[in-house]
Amino acid sequence: MPPALLEKLRATVGPANVLTGIELTPYVVEGRTPEAAVFPGSVEEVAAVIGLAAETARPVTPWGGGTAASAGIPTARTGLVLGLRRLGRLLEHEPGDLTATVEAGMTVETFQTALRSRGQWMSLDPADAHLATVGGVLATNASGPRRHLYGTARDLLIGVTVVTADGAVVRGGGKVVKNVAGYDLPKLFVGSYGTLGVIVEATVKLRPLPDHERLVCIRFERLKDAGAAVRSVMASDLIPNAIELLDATASTAISVTGAALVVGFDGLREQVDWQCAELARLAGACGGHEAQPLQADTWSSLGTAARATSPVTAAVMTFAVLPSQVAEMMEQGAGVARARGLNTAWAAHAGIGVVRAMVAADVVPTEPAAIAVVLAEWREMARGGGGHATLEWAPLAVKSLVPVWDDPGAAARIMERIKAQLDPQNILNPGRFVAGI
Amino acid sequence: MSTLTASGKGEIRRVLEAIVGPGGVLSDPDELMVYESDGLTLFRALADFVVFPTSAEHVSAIVKVANRENLPFVARGAGTGLSGGCLPTEGGIVISLMRMNRVLEVDYDNQIAVVEPGLVNLHLSWKVGPRGYYYAPDPSSQQACTIGGNIANNSGGPHTLKYGVTTNHVLGLEVVMPDGEIVWLGGKTREACGYDLAGVFVGSEGTFGIATKVAVRILKKPQAVKTVLAAFDEIDRASAAVSAIIARGLVPAAIEMIDHLTIQAVEDAFNCGYPRDADAVLLIELDGLAVGLEAQAERIVAACREAGAREIHTAKNEAERQLLWKGRKSAFGAYGRVSPAYMVMDGVIPRTKLPYVLRRVNEIVAAAGLRVGNVFHAGDGNLHPNLLYDPRKPGDEARVVAAGAEIMKVCAEVGGSISGEHGIGLEKSDFMPFIFSAADLSLMHRLKNAFNPTGLCNPGKIFPTKKSCVEVGPVAYRPHAIEEKGLAQRF
Repeated sequence: MPPALLEKLRATVGPANVLTGIELTPYVVEGRTPEAAVFPGSVEEVAAVIGLAAETARPVTPWGGGTAASAGIPTARTGLVLGLRRLGRLLEHEPGDLTATVEAGMTVETFQTALRSRGQWMSLDPADAHLATVGGVLATNASGPRRHLYGTARDLLIGVTVVTADGAVVRGGGKVVKNVAGYDLPKLFVGSYGTLGVIVEATVKLRPLPDHERLVCIRFERLKDAGAAVRSVMASDLIPNAIELLDATASTAISVTGAALVVGFDGLREQVDWQCAELARLAGACGGHEAQPLQADTWSSLGTAARATSPVTAAVMTFAVLPSQVAEMMEQGAGVARARGLNTAWAAHAGIGVVRAMVAADVVPTEPAAIAVVLAEWREMARGGGGHATLEWAPLAVKSLVPVWDDPGAAARIMERIKAQLDPQNILNPGRFVAGI
Repeated sequence: MSTLTASGKGEIRRVLEAIVGPGGVLSDPDELMVYESDGLTLFRALADFVVFPTSAEHVSAIVKVANRENLPFVARGAGTGLSGGCLPTEGGIVISLMRMNRVLEVDYDNQIAVVEPGLVNLHLSWKVGPRGYYYAPDPSSQQACTIGGNIANNSGGPHTLKYGVTTNHVLGLEVVMPDGEIVWLGGKTREACGYDLAGVFVGSEGTFGIATKVAVRILKKPQAVKTVLAAFDEIDRASAAVSAIIARGLVPAAIEMIDHLTIQAVEDAFNCGYPRDADAVLLIELDGLAVGLEAQAERIVAACREAGAREIHTAKNEAERQLLWKGRKSAFGAYGRVSPAYMVMDGVIPRTKLPYVLRRVNEIVAAAGLRVGNVFHAGDGNLHPNLLYDPRKPGDEARVVAAGAEIMKVCAEVGGSISGEHGIGLEKSDFMPFIFSAADLSLMHRLKNAFNPTGLCNPGKIFPTKKSCVEVGPVAYRPHAIEEKGLAQRF
């Protein structure tokens, strides 16, 4: 990096907030070391840093808690890591409005703790909440089991402030829960992986904390029967906040033996009680064993259950399919891998059709090519049913054989045009996202 | 209307007829006049053609003709919009989706329906109702408005407090892009593959293309419903009750407020049991499990009493419940009892600012020498002040428009928005700078360029611009052609 640029960055954010050389170790992704990691302390400083990067067309990689740093293809050109950790303030929380505005660098856990102290929460429960930042969770569209009832970031984010590739500070949406003025920019930035702008502030809808919440597990001899139970629950009057399906491997992560259906309920105590009883009845009719309550801390293990079951992971793939296809996808997918000598673990947000599969690297020396074959077959299975697949985690050697992102079809052209309009120099996370964006 | 020559127009008409058949094109000015306005009759603009496609391929072919002829085009549903969003401001082609009104597929296992854009909102709930399902977004015009129009405006309704607006229920769309290409944005499965283009498309007011198929979520009907009417002697107390309910950790399905003037109009028209002497009533609905509903209703009642409710009444049966809702849903029509005309405003504020903003609205309206009726989604902070006026009285309409702008400024000042569900369209494009900076608008403009680079798809909307040369903006009242013919009346 030109020394003059380094000087300007230091002058902008303070010398202590620019890391270089050996200090960059935590920011190395797939062996690629950035030129510097810069930690601005205000929205204006973020804008100034991006402005400086834009002057020399340097790539900028936004960095929250680093929990999704390996998602996508790492940027080929080296550039700046833009760390948001110093933007960590809760700017506004008015309980009567059920909204809060927060800086992007606050961790989800810190945010939730502040909200909980006033009887509310952001109804989003991504994994690694103690590390993941609000901005990172929005940019990667991370979610957890409770999305079954409460939806994802797109349903909660009502206002967003971003710094665009030209260093402009732009606001989209607003601070009110209902708003159709102008285009829905919050939707544009959710899940855009930092390729269109750097999220610096967010306003989200909140919910009151429920009086009670309970997580119940029902074991099944066969995954297929658990799948039938999911359909039965969905067709019933129950209003679960989570419906998780775990195969016999993934269920070990929550200390359960065999295929497991895990269902969450919240509300008044009498509502939770009634629903648990009704669930037991419905599941029993499908061959489920007795319902057991799970500890509250099991919630945080559910989202990562598939991955947690093997000490060494070769790949994690996420599928979006129809809810009715989930159990079959899990069984057939595991079969495909087993036929090639690979062990897998499967877990799903079964009620909405999001399935996660982990390929373990603990049995045979896993050749990238062998793994790639299985992943490609899985993707074809999902696509065959009208769904799609994302390679959530894998070493670069595997990613070079299997595209990380699925093919968005004709919509790719529109995505490319949006990218070209918003980031004409292609400096924000270049090459990391869908369709080479 | 654009400046097509008669022979040019005849030629294009033949081309359009070749696409949709002879019964599918209007170009006679008398017939076109029916399509010169939407629900906001303040603005009028005449198209050169109105075309009625019956398939995505038709729409695509029409759009390609428009591109070839450099003619603007705009999609139109039932025309119930309230911001002039579907007006052909610069002439060209109105593409009516009203003949594309089929339910194509219902997948009850996965709780998804795929429908055409011209389907009337309520007809989807009728279709899936017998199996115990419904489509949640319920705009007050749901008996007439279409799913496609709902998508353009990201429509809400009373029950969006709990269930969210249109965008929360749309999974994917087949869209004819402004260049005629047919593209799916999103699909039936969750998780966008790439940018959330379906999310960006919803609410883009017809400027990003034309939806031709829509995959939406359908929901299980709640096991039980309870509807409560709380009457207050002071509207401020009703506002305080809204915050008190939220503060008690309850999110009802709906909290609607109806003010004194509106109560008079509604009682005159329908006799639905609202106390006439109340300054305001709240219509509160809870739904969900039968178990616990009573306990939740008790909390609501307690919150209302604490805030100073004078009387509280719970609907004893479905007939009573329907009657209470009839007052709310038909309030707009009932204004005909108290005023020859009204203009509905749409703004959003943080819920906690309700008392202040309602006072300001009253001041603004009084200063303009007008009257106002308020009936709105209080739980969402989505205001609908209805300014009553006499269109035959010189200057009244201009005063309404000026007062409307003042009210929007107040919404903006308290951190709110200039539209909660009616859209920006033509009506509010010049208000956009109240809440958005030049940088914000520039980004929106670039986003529009990505979808609609030629600008032919619904031009003149959303962005502040010089007013178009056609007849828009505050104009002296004149009866619409269909009023003159006795086919319609203002109320």
